[in-house]
Amino acid sequence: MARQMRPMLRLLLAAIPIGALSVAVPLVNRIEPRFLGLPFLLWWIIGWVCLTPALLWTIGRLEKRW
Amino acid sequence: MSGSPVALAIVAAVVLGTIVFALLAVRRVKMDPAQYIVGGRSFGTIFLWVLLAGEIYTTFTFLGIAGLSYSGGAPAFYVLAYGACGYAISYFVTPAIWRVGKECNLLTGPDFFETRYNSRALGTATAILYFLMVVPYVALQLSGLQILLRIAGYGAYDATASVCIAFLVLALFVFTAGLRGTAWASVVKDVLVLGAVAFAGIAIPMRFFGSPSAMFDRVAATHPQMLVLPTGTVFHGTIWFVSTVLLSGIGWSMGPHSFSATYSARSGDSLRRNAMLLPLYQAFVALMIFAGLSAAMIVPGLKGTAVDQSFLLVVQHYYPSWILGLVVAAGALAALIPASALLLAGAAVITKNVAGDVFGIATGDAARTLMTRVLVLVVALLALGFWLTGQRTVVEMLLLYYNGITQFAPGVFATFLWRRRATALGVGAGIAAGLAVAIPLAALNITPWGINAGLVGLGANVATLVILSLVTRPPREGEHRSASADPALISPSASRAE
Repeated sequence: MARQMRPMLRLLLAAIPIGALSVAVPLVNRIEPRFLGLPFLLWWIIGWVCLTPALLWTIGRLEKRW
Repeated sequence: MSGSPVALAIVAAVVLGTIVFALLAVRRVKMDPAQYIVGGRSFGTIFLWVLLAGEIYTTFTFLGIAGLSYSGGAPAFYVLAYGACGYAISYFVTPAIWRVGKECNLLTGPDFFETRYNSRALGTATAILYFLMVVPYVALQLSGLQILLRIAGYGAYDATASVCIAFLVLALFVFTAGLRGTAWASVVKDVLVLGAVAFAGIAIPMRFFGSPSAMFDRVAATHPQMLVLPTGTVFHGTIWFVSTVLLSGIGWSMGPHSFSATYSARSGDSLRRNAMLLPLYQAFVALMIFAGLSAAMIVPGLKGTAVDQSFLLVVQHYYPSWILGLVVAAGALAALIPASALLLAGAAVITKNVAGDVFGIATGDAARTLMTRVLVLVVALLALGFWLTGQRTVVEMLLLYYNGITQFAPGVFATFLWRRRATALGVGAGIAAGLAVAIPLAALNITPWGINAGLVGLGANVATLVILSLVTRPPREGEHRSASADPALISPSASRAE
């Protein structure tokens, strides 16, 4: 069971940042709340760019590559 | 005006020093086609990282992103977003491409199409298309280089002759050093570019506003519309943003030079590690957005193609000439290093997939290396001619390139996702349909419902691929020349064999 779930789980993990950085963007197209001056939209994008390595690392762990 | 010789001397010294350094690094390497074109498939994680990082920051980073931030603000955020999407896709796709390349000894992107669809015609057709796209993309780098050199010359000269000389020196460098030389030159480039980007995005806002966040406070107070996307179907609006991120992310690893870099890896895992780590390096692009927004507050009022020079004009007006020299030198390497990889890939597709496969010319190792080398010089001269005869703004030409490059993605993805049914005719017709829709729309600046023309073309591409593949006969089992290499994007369990 767990073994069959894994291929889908890996693709899903990769799809999360792609969705967050594309189709979700119109939903977070806001200036406020700003933090350190940067608008919320920019934080959203920078945040997901920085989370992408963590998600890809998790996929690699599921594949027992590192 | 007296700063001009200092800045230009620094640029010349850095560019020449980088080339000499790379030549020394590869002087003992013996060249055969695999060594010359794909680095002997021997690049480990770190060396591959250097090469891939070297290809990310082009003149578009230095001029286009800052320019788009200057003129529009938030639409420039798309550059951050699509890189991460591209890596999330390439984590799966590039190791699979690499494995086919390793088992079938592939040298070029068209080789991949030829092998997987068992069709020489498809290989040749994709080779010609790649070649036609490489030339304007290299020309784009030359336009960027000219803008940079003009600024380093404080407007005192036109720089056309200097661009020609710099580019011909680069072509001779590629002639000699191959892909390994490009990777070594990237070592210098990566360091210098990171320094310049940090200066532009942090030091400039600190000097003029106290800190980057104070700069954003100023923008929020005076130009709040620059910090969010226009809503709906307008150009650079939310729908444009979503479609452009998807389009560019899908096309991320589809360039001819990306195939070379993929094949140059020592293992699939070095590609996976790079896909994982490179988004962090790419996140530094955010600093160029800071630089462009700062310039919009410091030197407002630039119009048209002049916006591409925005942050460089700030450096020119307010900083000593040696700083301008270092920033322009970083920008010049950002133009020349990706151009070197493109020249090599453009020469390789013609040598291997047109001259070799169609006409039977230069199929031996020594002859193939020599012909690739000579074609590097020919492609360079063609790009130079193209550049001397036509000009467009930097961002527009990049989008044209991406509209075209992404059309190769369905054919590549189908070899893994739909490999028993996709046929050479379907893939070829799909690419043709995609280009026939995307290029005219992009050229006429038509964005249906606000959607990027390239993504509309991609839809036509996929529809054509599916329909024509269903009505034509798929290759029978065992007909693939690479029947043994049958990589899956998602292996049922991790195989460490690679």
